[in-house]
Amino acid sequence: MRKVKLIIGTIFILLVVLGMTAAASKVSFYANITAIEPIMESFEAKTGIKGEYTRISTDKFLATVLTEFEAGKLLADVIQAPLPVLEILKERGVLSTYTSPVAEAYPEWTRKEGIQLFGIEYVALIYNKELVKQEDVPKRYEDLTDPKWKDKIVMANPALHPTTISWLVGLKENIFESEEEWLNFVKGLAANKPMFVASFGPTPAPVESGEKLIAISMPKYIITKAPAPLDWARIEQPLMGTPRAIAVTSSAPNPDGAKAFMDYWLSEEAMSILAKEVGEYVLAPGIFPPIDSIDKAEVLAIRELSDEEIQQWGTEFKKIFAVY
Amino acid sequence: MKRDSRLTIILIIIVGFLTVCPVIMLVFGSFSEGLSAFGKFTLEKYIAAYTDPELPKIISNTVIFVLGAALVATILALFLAYLNNRTDIPGKFLFKVISITPMMIPHILFSVSWVLLLNPSNGILNLILKQFFGLENSPFNIYSLWGMILVEGLLDMPIAYLIIAPAMASFDVNLEESSRVCGAGIGQTLAKITLPVLRPAILAAFILCIVRCMASFAVPSVIGMPGRIYVLATHIYQTISVGFAVDYGKAAAIGMSVLVISITLIFLYRYLTSESEKYVTISSRGYHPTIIKLKKAKIPLFFILGLLLFILIALPVLVLIYTSLVPYSMVPSAKAFSMMSLRHWNAVIKDPISILSLKNSLFLGIFGATVGVILSLFVAYTIVRIRTKMSGILESLSFLSFSFPGIVIGIGFMWFFVRTPIYATIWTLLIGYIATYLPYGIRPLSSAFVQIHKHLEESSKVCGAGPLTTMRRIIIPLLVPGIVSGWILMATMFLRELSLSVVLSRPGSEVLAVQILRFSGDGLWGRLSALGIIMIVISTTLVALVSFIGAKLQPAIK
Repeated sequence: MRKVKLIIGTIFILLVVLGMTAAASKVSFYANITAIEPIMESFEAKTGIKGEYTRISTDKFLATVLTEFEAGKLLADVIQAPLPVLEILKERGVLSTYTSPVAEAYPEWTRKEGIQLFGIEYVALIYNKELVKQEDVPKRYEDLTDPKWKDKIVMANPALHPTTISWLVGLKENIFESEEEWLNFVKGLAANKPMFVASFGPTPAPVESGEKLIAISMPKYIITKAPAPLDWARIEQPLMGTPRAIAVTSSAPNPDGAKAFMDYWLSEEAMSILAKEVGEYVLAPGIFPPIDSIDKAEVLAIRELSDEEIQQWGTEFKKIFAVY
Repeated sequence: MKRDSRLTIILIIIVGFLTVCPVIMLVFGSFSEGLSAFGKFTLEKYIAAYTDPELPKIISNTVIFVLGAALVATILALFLAYLNNRTDIPGKFLFKVISITPMMIPHILFSVSWVLLLNPSNGILNLILKQFFGLENSPFNIYSLWGMILVEGLLDMPIAYLIIAPAMASFDVNLEESSRVCGAGIGQTLAKITLPVLRPAILAAFILCIVRCMASFAVPSVIGMPGRIYVLATHIYQTISVGFAVDYGKAAAIGMSVLVISITLIFLYRYLTSESEKYVTISSRGYHPTIIKLKKAKIPLFFILGLLLFILIALPVLVLIYTSLVPYSMVPSAKAFSMMSLRHWNAVIKDPISILSLKNSLFLGIFGATVGVILSLFVAYTIVRIRTKMSGILESLSFLSFSFPGIVIGIGFMWFFVRTPIYATIWTLLIGYIATYLPYGIRPLSSAFVQIHKHLEESSKVCGAGPLTTMRRIIIPLLVPGIVSGWILMATMFLRELSLSVVLSRPGSEVLAVQILRFSGDGLWGRLSALGIIMIVISTTLVALVSFIGAKLQPAIK
């Protein structure tokens, strides 16, 4: 009997040690950002710690993280999501207060007690450069209300896509001089009967194929979908987008690895990969995606909208755009 | 008798455990404040869900969509199953493979193919028709209710086919011959003998298609949303997805009505097929499934069937092949053909996660379907043969997870599995898949069971064989077509499963669906198409292999 107990005890200790070793040699990263495998590989090459990337879509992000956290089984060491998502997680105690020393190089407004902003999910007007004549390319957002764009626009559903809702509200707060002007723009856009898709992902395909001519979308697709004939309209007004954020979790299985990952993620090297290979707009000073003239564009971070605000505006846009 | 009740109770415990747990979590979630399953009690989510002014319109769209698609699926399946199984039409094997091809394609991809063919701006078929007939406007608009019905009907047609075909294959031709001897023509015999005898299979197929259509998300999202046509699944998405704090409890509250409808349909089905003796076609008195000669109609029917299947199924698959070769979404042109390359294929083949996903999905497809069919065999036996109130409960239980809209049930499973030690492993996917798609195994098997007379089992018992020996020596050999259908339905479903995988898959347990989601999220349709074709090839190989084994096993019993 003693022998059996000894064997079981040894196996248990071995399993615990093995488990701890496995946890110490990897970092689990939950993110909604896409195509970041090159950063994970480069992190492993540099630190010897394996980075495990779990992609979770924005609509399932809070449900997944909160379910795991409340059951005491949150597997993530580091989390990346839009800022409002991380703010909710911070309120629930999911995030630690770790501030990376690398963040010193970033503008001050990007540091939010444990949450670090590193990029902007920037939105622009993306058009088919083979089918749209240069003189027809919009020069201001208002140009989208011209009837010549009727049935030629594709955009994410303005009644439910949080980034598109925030973008439309951002136009009101940052671009248009009066609410009336903004409302005229929104109504004019709605009158041109844009085609709605679920998110930004499906917006470039109809423009590439010529089914539609212009999209309210992200310039990063010019890189990721090359050699598709896509270009962005260099409008006179600033571009805008919701901030992308990152934080270490309060219950990280590998807290040291988590800090190492956060430090690496914010480094010039990782941000250059993100900008150059994925076309993301990053907040690390002096790094831009290789998209013509994008370094000259003014890109604003949209004010963080609460969920209640997004829902209210979603209902409003549902009516204006006659979504149902 | 005691043994039968014991079997029923054991099965109720197993199936109940598999399907009730996630649903209970969703019920809790629907009555809980906040975002998780365990919050303060509230009725708010139900009140908000069922007082929505848009609901009547959504329900009317859903009824038209669901009934239309289920009808298209069942009628097409009936037509194909009849020609493939009961007639001497040439090219049967090819037609059979094409008939079940849509279920091997990720639904999102099949929907996108149809958009490329029939969108009103530059859909390939629309452009051809416009040029050919000199039309000013596109004749078809896929972004409409009929477009949704067509594509969903085609996607669900294999489900109906795989339920009706085994019943058709084991049809005793003596019944038809008697009808013909009494002076009835082929049409009259079909209407008065063949179709009524096949009622359980046809109803089972129709009901399963209805339940599947109600839970479907890909077609309403890819085709309905751009056309501003909302059905229940997209309404749920629309209701909960505004904002970042997505409330799946509210989605579950709407999903409960779908669950009630599904359970009602199952009881209706049981009532409509209650006199099961009427549908027995394989009895101890002889079993001769024979072939009807089409004579002069053979060649015209061959061409009609060929053309129909080419337009409806082969063409979208060709669009996939084309999309996987061109660098970006392009209308076919000289430029597009000159730019063709294997870049998307290389990207997929060299991607380690795609390869791991492929291995995991193959394991889940083959092993999962085998376990699923074994469980389904016992459940179908209990449902058809024992037919007590308890077996009715068992049948309803088997539909529980299946009836929930896909976007909700995955969360139910996550809420449940996170409290178990197997969370974040491939086993959660295996259990989740079997629990959710159990009806895919049970339906074809119970339709096939209905047709086998109880006398055969009784004779075996009289000769001293126990229930397991009777099952192994008598029942299973006669059920080969049903087993093959159930296995194919489950394996191909598990290979492309999306709803649960998206929520339950973690690093190391990635499956093809996760890759599909990644590619579609990034709008990388070329890679998505390449991966889709790899999935079709794997599924076709599995289907061909299993059909071959099934065919080899069958002659032995004739």
